[in-house]
Amino acid sequence: MLRLEGLRAGYGPVTVLQDVSLEVNAGEVVTIVGGNGAGKTTTLRAICGLIKPQGGRITVDGRDTSRLAPPEIVDLGITMIPEGRQLFPFMTVRENLMLGGFKPAARARIPERLEEVLTLFPRVRERMTQLAGSLSGGEQQMVAIARGMMANPRLLMFDEPSLGLAPLIVKQVFQIIDTVVASGTTVLIVEQNIVHTLQIATRGYVLENGRVAMSGPGPELLRDPHVKRAYLGV
Amino acid sequence: MDILIQLIANGVLLGGVFALISIGLTLIFGIVRVVNFAHGELLMVGLYATWLLSAKLGIHPYLAAVPLAIAFFFLGALMQRAIIQPLMNADPHIQIFATVGIGTALANGALMIFSADLRSVDVPWARQATDLFGLASVSRGNLVAFAVSGIATTGLILFLRRTHLGRAIRAVAQNRYAAPLMGIDVNRIYAITFGIGAGCVGLAAAVLAPLYPAFPTVGSFFVLTAFVVVVLGGMGSLEGAVIGALIIGLVESLAGYYVAPDLKEVVYFLIFLGILIVRPAGLFGVRGAE
Amino acid sequence: MMRAAAAIAGLFALFAVPFWVIPAYDAEAAGFWQHIFVTIFVFAAMACAWNILGGFAGQLSLGQTIFYGIGGYAAALMNQHFGLIPWIGMFAGAAVSVVVAVLIAWPCLRLRGPFFTLSTIAFLEVIRLLAIHFKDWTGGSAGLPVPMFVGTELRIGWSWMLFREKENYLVIAFGLLVLALIASWLVRRSRLGFSLVAVREREDAARAVGINTTAVKLSAFAISAGLTSLVGSFHGIYLNFIDPETMFSLPTAIQVAMFALIGGLGTVSGPIWGTLLVVPIAEAARGWLGAGANGLHGLVYGVVLVAVVLTMPHGLVGSIGPWLRRRFGAARAVDPTRIAAPVTGDAIARPPIGPVILEAQGLTRRFGGLIATNDVSLTLREGEVLGVIGPNGAGKTTLFNLLSGFLPPSAGTLRVMMPDGSWVTPSAPHAFAAAGVARTFQIVQPFAGLSVLENVMLGAFHQTRSATEARRIAEEVATRCGLGALLLAEARSLTVGGAKRLEVARALAMGPRILLLDEVMAGLNPADVTAAVELVKAVRDSGVAVIAIEHVMAAIMAISDRIIVINSGRMIAEGTPDEIARNPAVIEAYLGEDYVHVAA
Repeated sequence: MLRLEGLRAGYGPVTVLQDVSLEVNAGEVVTIVGGNGAGKTTTLRAICGLIKPQGGRITVDGRDTSRLAPPEIVDLGITMIPEGRQLFPFMTVRENLMLGGFKPAARARIPERLEEVLTLFPRVRERMTQLAGSLSGGEQQMVAIARGMMANPRLLMFDEPSLGLAPLIVKQVFQIIDTVVASGTTVLIVEQNIVHTLQIATRGYVLENGRVAMSGPGPELLRDPHVKRAYLGV
Repeated sequence: MDILIQLIANGVLLGGVFALISIGLTLIFGIVRVVNFAHGELLMVGLYATWLLSAKLGIHPYLAAVPLAIAFFFLGALMQRAIIQPLMNADPHIQIFATVGIGTALANGALMIFSADLRSVDVPWARQATDLFGLASVSRGNLVAFAVSGIATTGLILFLRRTHLGRAIRAVAQNRYAAPLMGIDVNRIYAITFGIGAGCVGLAAAVLAPLYPAFPTVGSFFVLTAFVVVVLGGMGSLEGAVIGALIIGLVESLAGYYVAPDLKEVVYFLIFLGILIVRPAGLFGVRGAE
Repeated sequence: MMRAAAAIAGLFALFAVPFWVIPAYDAEAAGFWQHIFVTIFVFAAMACAWNILGGFAGQLSLGQTIFYGIGGYAAALMNQHFGLIPWIGMFAGAAVSVVVAVLIAWPCLRLRGPFFTLSTIAFLEVIRLLAIHFKDWTGGSAGLPVPMFVGTELRIGWSWMLFREKENYLVIAFGLLVLALIASWLVRRSRLGFSLVAVREREDAARAVGINTTAVKLSAFAISAGLTSLVGSFHGIYLNFIDPETMFSLPTAIQVAMFALIGGLGTVSGPIWGTLLVVPIAEAARGWLGAGANGLHGLVYGVVLVAVVLTMPHGLVGSIGPWLRRRFGAARAVDPTRIAAPVTGDAIARPPIGPVILEAQGLTRRFGGLIATNDVSLTLREGEVLGVIGPNGAGKTTLFNLLSGFLPPSAGTLRVMMPDGSWVTPSAPHAFAAAGVARTFQIVQPFAGLSVLENVMLGAFHQTRSATEARRIAEEVATRCGLGALLLAEARSLTVGGAKRLEVARALAMGPRILLLDEVMAGLNPADVTAAVELVKAVRDSGVAVIAIEHVMAAIMAISDRIIVINSGRMIAEGTPDEIARNPAVIEAYLGEDYVHVAA
């Protein structure tokens, strides 16, 4: 469904991604792991159209999307749940969810979709009238995921969903991601917390200094000593 | 006692006028994060436009209100697209200079075309006084302006809260980074917001024309007050702007009587400086809570 | 030398044209032209003065006519009430202006961007309204004439600053312009000027190199106000009449600022070019359309301003200057990727680790409900390298901000030992710098518009007042850091590796005893990392104690004597690199709690 070929990208004169090639097929759970500054988030931002590639190609179903603006990418059914939740803090949870369904294709059936999503996230239903900024970190992450689901995406991308959350909450977040996967959505996860992710991933890529250092089935990567070195430098 | 009630009535009505001008300014700042130093000059253009429509074509100012608001929406959106959008990522001082430049050009353009003479729209009905429950006496035009201001402000607040587009506008203000991820075209929102802010000014011009004459520097007369109002209420907060406008209206009315007519502005500028320095978020502003 | 000669020749020509050339060519029109040139000189002088605050320091004030007005009124009132010659009033006015400037700037300078601008406008309005109100004193809105006759005494000639011939006005106006220009040139070359530009470019980095940002902005405000006031005194007398509307005028304040912007903000000559371009265009347009076209000036100004802002935001000098240099090859072709390996010199023996020189007890920092740093205690010894590691969002950078004064702690104490053995507890970044603490930023904060050399000089100015000496230190340190070939490159053109190296060089040039390095190796390629490791070791061997936050594990293991590990704001481990690498709590923090079991 999604394919990156020799992607080069960065900010201004700075190149973060040197050469990244990867693919995500429909129904898969793919993960990108790697240390800080390896280029994981930059990869997702390039896919979303938030930054324009300096080289290489991004294709969705064979169509080049490198030059599209973020709203057009969203229209193609690709939604990102950004790092740090990035909710709209002074709006209610309900308003946040409605904004998740802002794209024209989703807007018409917001009420039905809201029901579907709230069935997946019963906890969110209890918080509908609260301001998003007043929720705890774990609750915010749930709202962020629910908001992403509102767009009814074909591909849902998670950027560091466990960042800054307590261990117990991290477990819950991964249970939710399991739910999302089970609902048939294709998933691409960027994570530092490699154990959870690699366990649920059908395939994983290890990023180092803006290049794909290795790739393979998730559990296999978990046992590879190279991965530990990439993180701990020992 | 009677005089106090009269002063309060005048102050509240004046506050309504200020509110109508200030909500556009605060909206533009809250969403686009640009301080529109040309806001007053837009009002000046609106007052001249109303005068032209009325004096040359015989159109009643109140009838011109809605068409003028729509025309100003497009004018504002065009101004954003042509001049502000290219500078969205520039230094704040460049943005300030750009809007100051627009304002300077408009004010002096008006001076060239219309000279410095006052151009008044004569609507005798609006000048007549009406009795408020036997307590105070105010002009009908003032009441109309107050009512229009109330309707426009309420409408705008409802629009921002209840509609998809309104929510998208608030979303851009609260999180510029996440908004595009929802499929919101941020640049389009900026143009629309500028348009709405300018539209409020167009509306204001039409209902104020029977009360205030048009002259080239009328803009700076109003815009400085609008800045005071907006800072007082918290930059970006619509509700804050309304409350701020009422406070400044009252201050102007009371200080004009009890302090000295020519020092009333000093009083509210001092309040303004005090607020800026002690509590830059404004009396009611929570940072980012627009 | 060439440039100085060209500048003097240009200025001479600027004076000669109205003074000799035009009268010789057309004596009839001379008066008109001399009036225009007086106006140009006056506005150019005010634009130069404004530029010290608005251009160098980047504080966009639209209230500078406050001081123009104070100058005007001081000269006129002292003349009228005490019969004093305007020259005395002129300098008294400047003194008053400096005092008023400090009083106004103190609160206003806490505000940023448009809010600062609005506050200056508000002050201008208040002062204008007060001048109108106290009419017994100022004559109110009716204004004050500047009389030629008092009784039967004819007050004319040099001491009264009043003349029948315009030439003499031309001399004084030109003198004021030269004065403003020289002041501006001196400021730009001094430590103050560098500090102002640093504040404008990046306030945080300026604080990190030890600049007291409030003090330098205040100085700029005062200098600018004093110069503006001198011009105002003269201009009031020249116009023979002053009133609040013209003296405390917002449109004039805007015009002055726009001349400087059009010419090039922050350049010494820009304000003159801006004035020279715009005033004649407006005059010419008036010539075509007839003198009746009121408002034409302002229309031209506004349109030119918008056009300049959209097409060349750096102004005439800032845009054309670089173009000329490129076109006529004053070869500055520097390849910004040419970073050399650091020059570490002969391997000096590593000095022994000395006594504790920095000590933190129970440092805690809360942001609302979030505790970013939670009860962290640490010590640093002389000559030691302390590594700080932890996963993303663990609170490492917050800890650095506490250790350098960028954030006050919510609880806990922090003290630094001075060279004489006494202990101090600094509170603001510049106080930390004075105590010998220098820092770098994780997200590099170069003064982007300045050259590499100037960036490092800003660090060196912490040690010395002299620009020559600062340049010498900067060249030496930059070369040591491998930036020797890039001294003239613009900082924004550097690669990540170069920019990180520049961060270190700028901090080192301050001559610190304690150096805080925040991820100076992140995003570097392996060769650059190796070079950076060597550099840190060399710094250590020169006797500087280092605290380094790092994610490149191999590097932190190689340089650190001790490592502390932070997770969720708490210190979870402390030990030698070997101990840390084997600590299960650390592995868990990095790889997730289950990793230990899965991988085992």
